[in-house]
Amino acid sequence: MTGFQGCPGSRMVEFNKENLPEGTEGARVASQLRQWPIQLHLVSPTAPYYQGADVLLAADCAPFAMGNFHNDFLKGKALAIACPKLDAGQDVYREKIKAWFDEAKINTLTVLVMQVPCCRGLVGLAAQALAESERKIPVRYVVAGLSGEVLQEEWLEA
Amino acid sequence: MEKLLQTPIKELIGRFPAVGEILDEVGIGCVPCSVGTCLLADIVEIHNLPSEEERDLMARIAAVVFPGEVVKLPESKRAHSAGTREIRYSPPIKGLVEEHKVIKRFVALLPEFAREFDVRTGEGRELILAGADFIRSFADRYHHAKEEEILFTRFEEKLDILQVMQDDHRRARACVKELLEAVERRDPEGVERSLSGYAAILAEHIKKEDEILYPWMDRNLSTHQIGELFARFREVDDAFREERNKYGEFVDNLEKTLLARSREAIR
Repeated sequence: MTGFQGCPGSRMVEFNKENLPEGTEGARVASQLRQWPIQLHLVSPTAPYYQGADVLLAADCAPFAMGNFHNDFLKGKALAIACPKLDAGQDVYREKIKAWFDEAKINTLTVLVMQVPCCRGLVGLAAQALAESERKIPVRYVVAGLSGEVLQEEWLEA
Repeated sequence: MEKLLQTPIKELIGRFPAVGEILDEVGIGCVPCSVGTCLLADIVEIHNLPSEEERDLMARIAAVVFPGEVVKLPESKRAHSAGTREIRYSPPIKGLVEEHKVIKRFVALLPEFAREFDVRTGEGRELILAGADFIRSFADRYHHAKEEEILFTRFEEKLDILQVMQDDHRRARACVKELLEAVERRDPEGVERSLSGYAAILAEHIKKEDEILYPWMDRNLSTHQIGELFARFREVDDAFREERNKYGEFVDNLEKTLLARSREAIR
């Protein structure tokens, strides 16, 4: 017990640097990003790079936790990022996700969130948008641990 | 050990029956399989056992085949083994599992169906032919066609596991052909024999797909392929929607009819 009583999403944790695995020194990891902008408020859901695409909606913190984010999650996908806790205008987010389904006719949506409870709000937004959209597609969510490990992978009910 | 891994399972069980018992114990039901051409290596991979269980299984098989010898066990080729045995299907595969539920409800009725409906009467023939129509249309033209024409094409055609499944489909079709010939001959024993053959094939076939093939496919399909499959299945479902409802109602009504008849018989 740490005695911390507040939000788990804000709890201070320092990882033991002695035990961190070695990075890949010298081997540059190529970026798999293929569009700009990426913030969900800034993107148009009907932009050409979303048309028929496999879309990744990542919580802001997730790429920093996941050492191989570009190859394991971003490769081959169009991206948007958002924070379900701090960002204003979540209704706008829901409408944009709906527009991905109904107008951009995306192929799949993967929602990547952190294990902290507030991050589940992004999965909730995607589930609401899916329930309200006319066109159904496979929607998967992945929960990442603070050290970047995948803790859970599930499909939402289409 | 490598040679052992490349041995067809039926041949291995034939030479070492204890291997069949070991596989049974860990829920790998290869013993009753009528084909048995899958290689041991592929079977171990397809069942995705947790790493410790897989290692224990290989050690037990090695002890049967090479008694008293120290054998170097193979390392798992997979990046990680399953931590759980609970099956979670992707949306398109889940749709196929739902169709299996309708087919299993029909298959469960077949023993009573064969007993209750007499092919020598007009009414009996009509119901038996309606059952044959369910098998040919819902189970085969709709469900099996989604598998053979869409799902299986995402994988290497010559994979043993796919050959086994397609062989099951062919044997099921042969049973329906025999059923129709028995109806033509007004042959009640032929009707019962073909329906019972069909029920046995389908019960085992559906179990293999739900518990082994589909989870393995889900692990090997990319997210992009899952999306494509979902869209293709949706097109077929939309085209077959009215008939799908009709055959769902057929099974509902058959369950009610047979239940009413069994209640009548008890009185």
